[in-house]
Amino acid sequence: MKLLTRTTRYYLLYSLVVLVTGGLLFYPALRNIIYNQLDENLTDEKLIIMETIDHADSVPDFRQVFGHEIEVTIFNTPLKKKESFRDTNIYVREQGEFIKYRHLWVENTSVRNKGYIINIYKPLRESEALILEIYLAITILFASLLLLLVVVNYFVARRAWIPFYKTLGILRGYNINEEAPLSLIDSNIHEFVNLNQALEKMSRKIRKDFINLKEFNENAAHELQTPLAVIKSKIDLLVQDESLTVDQLKLIAAVSDATSRMSKLNQGLLLISKIDNNQFSLSEEIEMETVIDHTTEHFSEIMSLRGISVTKNYSGPLIINMSRALAEILVNNLISNAIKHNIKGGTIDIRVESEGFSISNTGHELNLEPHVLFERFRKSDYHTESVGLGLSIVRKITDLFRLQITYEYTDGMHILKIVK
Amino acid sequence: MKILLIEDERELSQSIVQYLTGENYLCEAVYTYEEAVEKINLYLYDCIVVDINLPDGSGLSIIRELKSNKAEAGIIIISAKNSLDDKISGLNIGADDYLTKPFHLPELNARVRSVIRRRSFGGAKEINFNELRIVPDNMEVHVCDQMLTLTRKEYDLLMFFLANKDRVLTKETIAEHLWGDEMDLANSFDFIYTHIKNLRRKIMDKGGEDYIRTIYGAGYKFVSKIPA
Repeated sequence: MKLLTRTTRYYLLYSLVVLVTGGLLFYPALRNIIYNQLDENLTDEKLIIMETIDHADSVPDFRQVFGHEIEVTIFNTPLKKKESFRDTNIYVREQGEFIKYRHLWVENTSVRNKGYIINIYKPLRESEALILEIYLAITILFASLLLLLVVVNYFVARRAWIPFYKTLGILRGYNINEEAPLSLIDSNIHEFVNLNQALEKMSRKIRKDFINLKEFNENAAHELQTPLAVIKSKIDLLVQDESLTVDQLKLIAAVSDATSRMSKLNQGLLLISKIDNNQFSLSEEIEMETVIDHTTEHFSEIMSLRGISVTKNYSGPLIINMSRALAEILVNNLISNAIKHNIKGGTIDIRVESEGFSISNTGHELNLEPHVLFERFRKSDYHTESVGLGLSIVRKITDLFRLQITYEYTDGMHILKIVK
Repeated sequence: MKILLIEDERELSQSIVQYLTGENYLCEAVYTYEEAVEKINLYLYDCIVVDINLPDGSGLSIIRELKSNKAEAGIIIISAKNSLDDKISGLNIGADDYLTKPFHLPELNARVRSVIRRRSFGGAKEINFNELRIVPDNMEVHVCDQMLTLTRKEYDLLMFFLANKDRVLTKETIAEHLWGDEMDLANSFDFIYTHIKNLRRKIMDKGGEDYIRTIYGAGYKFVSKIPA
């Protein structure tokens, strides 16, 4: 969920709560006000009527005076003073229905010592209509105000978050391998300025460490080459000594084997760090068919010794813009992999189309998860003596030239596919 | 045959000198750029083996100096930097070969031999060894005047043995020569065994001697003198 959606949603939710509770509280309050007003009017009329009764013997038709139902009954005996307001439903014959009235009922005794009862009825219909109208008007006003606030808030927030999304966009597109350090757009919002500064500081540090690490990797691998060269050369000399016994020669052979593996390992690591350090930036248009033909030729004898047959299916041409040296290493690693993990008498199937190529080979199912296949030093149990860098170098190369590589195992075939 | 070795790592330099001297080359070693320039201006060499990274200069400048002197010497670059740029610029200014450290001494020896053979004016179009006759330009091998049909790797193997006669070649040395050092194939030693077996059989079928010996535990050796 987007931040803005979430804040807007909360805003709407709370507004609704406020609107509903406000409305529920407002209605009785409004009603109270109107009723008070009504009761006050009734009281005023009562006072007028009482005064009239005090000063005159006969009572006029008050209905004519006030325009609504008033009943005055005068007794000869005095009455105790009583007064009450109530709501009454009265059946009105002309209209054939019950109508709600506000009813003031007064018992009192006039100054002439005559008791009287006054009943004043005022229809509530108008007042109730008024209450409803006011209530509706205010509710609509209130609701539209809230809605406006939500909309305004949405746009204000969206505007305010622009620097954040810009920063996010730059971060997303940032590659630590690139030449330039991270540079974020300035904002005049304090929090975003702080955020950008913190991010830039952090990325500078990470970049520095990353560059240091890359340099260290390359230097370390590079510096190891010379001592390895010394060891190799000494083994070559030592093995010439004719006075060596078979046991001594076996020891030397073991050292030689380990040195050779270390040397290959080191060269693999050196290659990886060179790819990381962008030392293969020189790209040219490579026709992959030629590279593949050259490599299969190189391995043809090994393949025939193992009884592996190769089928090629070219419907290209496939031209990839990449470094020639890396294209050769890529194909070399893929094909030597297809030989290494093949079975005796198996097949290798190479397909080239104009958008990519695939190399499939027969072989046992992997005891590795496919996604760890391209990690360094991942080996299947069958080949413990291999260095375990081949496919991770392949991955580095495909990443560098933005090629997609996928692996699948179907019908007893390992299929590695590379697509532009 | 005179060889000048320009390599600042003394232990490596000593190994190379010892191996090449054993191959009947006259091998001189210098350790700095300055010494190297002095030597190439004073003497003529058949082959110069030069490290690119010297403490006081670049091996590439030495090659330029040699070329400006119109020196006939073959040039082999040895470098710990397996850098394509260095390789290309080295070969462009006139080096004959490029070898990345760490390498095997028999490999360097084979390269030196091949550079000298290619450089030597006129003759040496053929390599003759007892009943073996090889025409490198056409990759032809004759045994007792009969043409031998070899696979590419068998031919490479034979040439490698001939360049390193009477030397014990470890399996690693042979594997790296045949398939390159980026090769990471399991069981590659089985292939060497098969290739050598086939090569021996093919030579012997045409009436040649069996020159290749298995040195138990260590590797193989091409012996030039068969004990009676």
